Amino acid sequence: MELTVLVFLPAVAAALILLLPQKQEGLARWIALAASVAILALSIWMFFDFDKGQTGFQYVVRKEWVDVGSFNLQYFLGADGLSMPLLVLTTALTAASVLVSFSVTMRPRAYYACLMVLSTSVLGVFCALDFMLFFLFWELELFPMFLLIAVWGSGRKEYSATKFVLYTIFGSAFMLVGILVLAFSQGTFDIEQLGQAQIAGTAIPVGWVFLFLFIGFGVKLPIVPLHTWLPDAHSDAPTAVSVMLAGVLLKMGGYGILRMCVTILPGVADDYSVWFAAIGAVSILYGGFITLRQTDLKRLVAYSSVSHMGIVLLGIGALGSTALMGATYQMLAHGVITGLLFGMVGLMYDRTHTREIARLGGLARQMPLLATGMVFAGFGSLGLPALGGFIAEVTVFLGTFERYEWAVLMGIFGVVLSAGYILWTMQRVVFGPVRHEWDSLPDQNHWWEHSVVAGLAALVIVLGVYPALVMDMIGPAINTIMLRVGS
Amino acid sequence: MLLLESAPHVPTIAEGILWAILASPIVAWALIVLYVRKLPKIAGWLTVAGVGTACALSFVTLFNVIDASGGIAIHTHEWFTAGNLTVHFGVRVDGLTAVMLVVVTSVSLLVQVYSHGYMAGDPGYGRYFAHMCLFTTSMLGLVLADNLFMMFMFWELVGLSSYLLIGFWFHKPSAAAAAKKAFIVTRVGDLGLLAGMLLIWSKTGTFQVDEIQKIASEGLVAHWVVTWFALGIFAGAAGKSAQFPLHVWLPDAMEGPTPVSALIHAATMVAAGVYLVARFFPVFEASGDARLVVAWIGGITALIAATIALVQTDFKRVLAYSTISQLGYMMLALGAFGYVAAIFHLFTHAFFKALLFLGSGSVNHATNTFDMRKMGGLRKQMPVTYWTFVIGSLSLAGIFPLAGFWSKDEILLAAWRESRGLWIIGFSVAFMTAAYMFRAIFLTFHGTYKGGEPVDHHDPDNHFHGDPAHPHESPWVMAGPLAVLAVPAIAAGWFNINGAFGDFILHALPETTEKGSEFAWGIAISSTLVALAGIFVAYAVYIREWVTSKTIREGFAPLAMVFERKYFLDNLYEDFFVRTVLQRGWNRLLELNDKYVVDGIVNGSASLAGSVSRRAGVVQNGQFQTYGLGFAAGVIVVVVAVFAAHPL
Repeated sequence: MELTVLVFLPAVAAALILLLPQKQEGLARWIALAASVAILALSIWMFFDFDKGQTGFQYVVRKEWVDVGSFNLQYFLGADGLSMPLLVLTTALTAASVLVSFSVTMRPRAYYACLMVLSTSVLGVFCALDFMLFFLFWELELFPMFLLIAVWGSGRKEYSATKFVLYTIFGSAFMLVGILVLAFSQGTFDIEQLGQAQIAGTAIPVGWVFLFLFIGFGVKLPIVPLHTWLPDAHSDAPTAVSVMLAGVLLKMGGYGILRMCVTILPGVADDYSVWFAAIGAVSILYGGFITLRQTDLKRLVAYSSVSHMGIVLLGIGALGSTALMGATYQMLAHGVITGLLFGMVGLMYDRTHTREIARLGGLARQMPLLATGMVFAGFGSLGLPALGGFIAEVTVFLGTFERYEWAVLMGIFGVVLSAGYILWTMQRVVFGPVRHEWDSLPDQNHWWEHSVVAGLAALVIVLGVYPALVMDMIGPAINTIMLRVGS
Repeated sequence: MLLLESAPHVPTIAEGILWAILASPIVAWALIVLYVRKLPKIAGWLTVAGVGTACALSFVTLFNVIDASGGIAIHTHEWFTAGNLTVHFGVRVDGLTAVMLVVVTSVSLLVQVYSHGYMAGDPGYGRYFAHMCLFTTSMLGLVLADNLFMMFMFWELVGLSSYLLIGFWFHKPSAAAAAKKAFIVTRVGDLGLLAGMLLIWSKTGTFQVDEIQKIASEGLVAHWVVTWFALGIFAGAAGKSAQFPLHVWLPDAMEGPTPVSALIHAATMVAAGVYLVARFFPVFEASGDARLVVAWIGGITALIAATIALVQTDFKRVLAYSTISQLGYMMLALGAFGYVAAIFHLFTHAFFKALLFLGSGSVNHATNTFDMRKMGGLRKQMPVTYWTFVIGSLSLAGIFPLAGFWSKDEILLAAWRESRGLWIIGFSVAFMTAAYMFRAIFLTFHGTYKGGEPVDHHDPDNHFHGDPAHPHESPWVMAGPLAVLAVPAIAAGWFNINGAFGDFILHALPETTEKGSEFAWGIAISSTLVALAGIFVAYAVYIREWVTSKTIREGFAPLAMVFERKYFLDNLYEDFFVRTVLQRGWNRLLELNDKYVVDGIVNGSASLAGSVSRRAGVVQNGQFQTYGLGFAAGVIVVVVAVFAAHPL
């Protein structure tokens, strides 16, 4: 029941918003805010109510949905230690994305309705336990994303929106084949059952099934070389969408790999693990090197995400409990940190109307609060201890070192690269001589801006100083996966 | 401290006190962050209170550990678990910790007091003290940590506070660049530390310092693991402690406010690398090879930095290169089995180098410049600064009976025992040290005053008050700490005359082949003579001008240019490697690949699909004749195919 409310409350809010008469369109943002605060509170309550000692899914909702011969679908939701923190991440970033767009005045009803539908679809992905239901939520996300980028974006927004959608559908097509082959061979779409079954006798070899699923999730993560949609989508998307995209949408890829590829086909994952580690290490370095060349602030953060998501894949490659927990933690930490970083970039863009690094500079003088938030988020991104990213990165590196030390020794160079691109960016954007063209611009000055920055910064610190809070929840879920891999 | 009769036993100090040492500056930091916008003036006092509390508690700890004859106490707690990884958060106290605690907090306290005067009127006054508190906490955490993971965390946080303080005047492009450079260069070293940490954990499953020491010295892991782990630790140490070839960030770090240079980039943080190597000394001993690397890198660093210091015209940069050189000395000592010598020198150096830096700040406060060519004759107007500076310089030069004499002597003795080559390096560095310090003194305080740097009143960030044309002695908040620091600069070396200091910190190690502190007349006399010779040369050139510096420079023009250009390392790293090879070469190549190859395939397949559909669309031209033709052709094909497959 809780999960149904959690997933569909934003959708209900979207419906309400669309029903608003034009005169009351100013209410749209308040409805969106109320809904996102409600699901945030609900998810936090569920997080603390969650029984960490228990393996398996909690808050389960299960109803028959479609039953036609061998094709039976269920409305089946549930959360375990892997999905519960991701649900909280999603609700937190939904609230953040509503707040950072509080000043949007263009077609606010459609805008907030799209954001709410987006939230429903992502929440659905993280707790759907029927593979077809999962796929429906997965595809549902494209619709609001396309509109949000194409209508409220900037630059080559139509191109980027189309590219985003087509690229994801390209991956989804493979994924759908994988899903259908799996489901028909086992006679069920039930993810829980698939995750316990010995998969054999599929219409195409299981290696191919795995690869098809992996392409679908890999586009989302993204992995090099399937990543080029990401910088385009980010740079042309409005701030809130960048926050959601980097913060939670990428995590759908990592979650999918862990929940589907690794759990359902552990043997294949083990055979392919060296490729995961290699692609992960390459993504870290490739993304890092290219980040150093970026001149657009948003593209820069986007490429840094490619690098940071490589760490997730590297950890998955190790297929050990420490590394998988680290990979999960990296998804959470990167979600909050990069969400904050995109938020700060967006707030600066709202004022200066440029993302071109060469035109910025010295902003620490005119906008001390924004600059502080930016530097904070930057240090989070480069993996400073006491902030969440550090725990995640080090756990992945430690967990992976024993199995693929060469990949880790490649990957840790990302630590220097990230220091390089982050600090160089800070030097060019917030430090240096004052530029008088920005003299009249206000600093961070609205309550919604303060609350986004303070809230996300607090989360980054909590993840950095109290890792046990989340690690203890992830642990049992990862151990369940590891039992599959081991057998 | 002078009586360590009984065998070492576990210190009785309450764990809460140790945590309170760590907590008090961070509490001050939190209060400043919360209230700084409303009450910036209280930031300074909050800092003094926080650091003062930590300092008092550090002395309590020191005396407690002395009572325990240098025994070890460890209090550790589980922090988090991920699979088979368990990370602890704990404190360890022993002789080494206690000494470091006292050095860090007492120098920090004096620097905070001094900063009240030096930073007065700066628009970032509150921010300055907040960063200083953050630094002190990070450094104390590093010193107190009982395991490598926690050390690494505070190690990085030390890097953060250093970054923030070097870039304190962030509107100056040079400061912003220097801050970035410091963080990135030290992070290159940290890469080694991280790799070492990964290696040792994967082979031993522990981060605890005492367990790693034991495993290494008892040979419970393969020798190559010990050696690579030790080299990783040293790479990290070389970054923070500015060892060749990672020393390039430290001179630039002088862009920070001078009290920052005194505390962080002279007395404490830069010694963190020496501390780290000392902490894992048994590992280096067990490796052998890694120990020799430490010794020789230390020696090379000491030599290179001393030669560059000889040709600097910036007062503060002389001190910066001198710091690098002295840190090289400490590493040289560690590599030559001189654990006690290194820590002893760290201890004495902290006081006299902090004194020298604060003295340079005092001079800057009067003249508005660090350029020695614009100074001269200041000894009359600034007697306290002058005399304390002379004391600090004599101590640094190693003149009997000042602090530096005793510790430097032990280093040279250790070098002599290890290898004659190392000793020759150390000996010649001793000569150069005396020469460059007295060159600086003569240029700054003797001769005639050359007017300082006029104040630019259009610069809103310049808070200089007073008139550089008429320099004056600094106020008591600044001169006071100079006078206080002069005491340990004279006397800190006496603690180890009977070897008490050495015994005290030696108990922090499990067992060691360290030969303890001794005194060798030959080393002592020769090093004193060479230091006096260095002073005499400076006197001959800069006071008497029997030979002018210009003549010498012309005589050794190629060599002087190498020194002045800092061995071309900045050009090699920044211009050649980062800008040319990386940014214009490799990274650009990858970017083009991403744009035209990776994304080119994506866009190419999209446009291919588009053009194929357009061509295929031609068929649907709406004419029945065409459709009928296609239909008929299709029927024929099917019929032929069926008959071909099933002949009648």
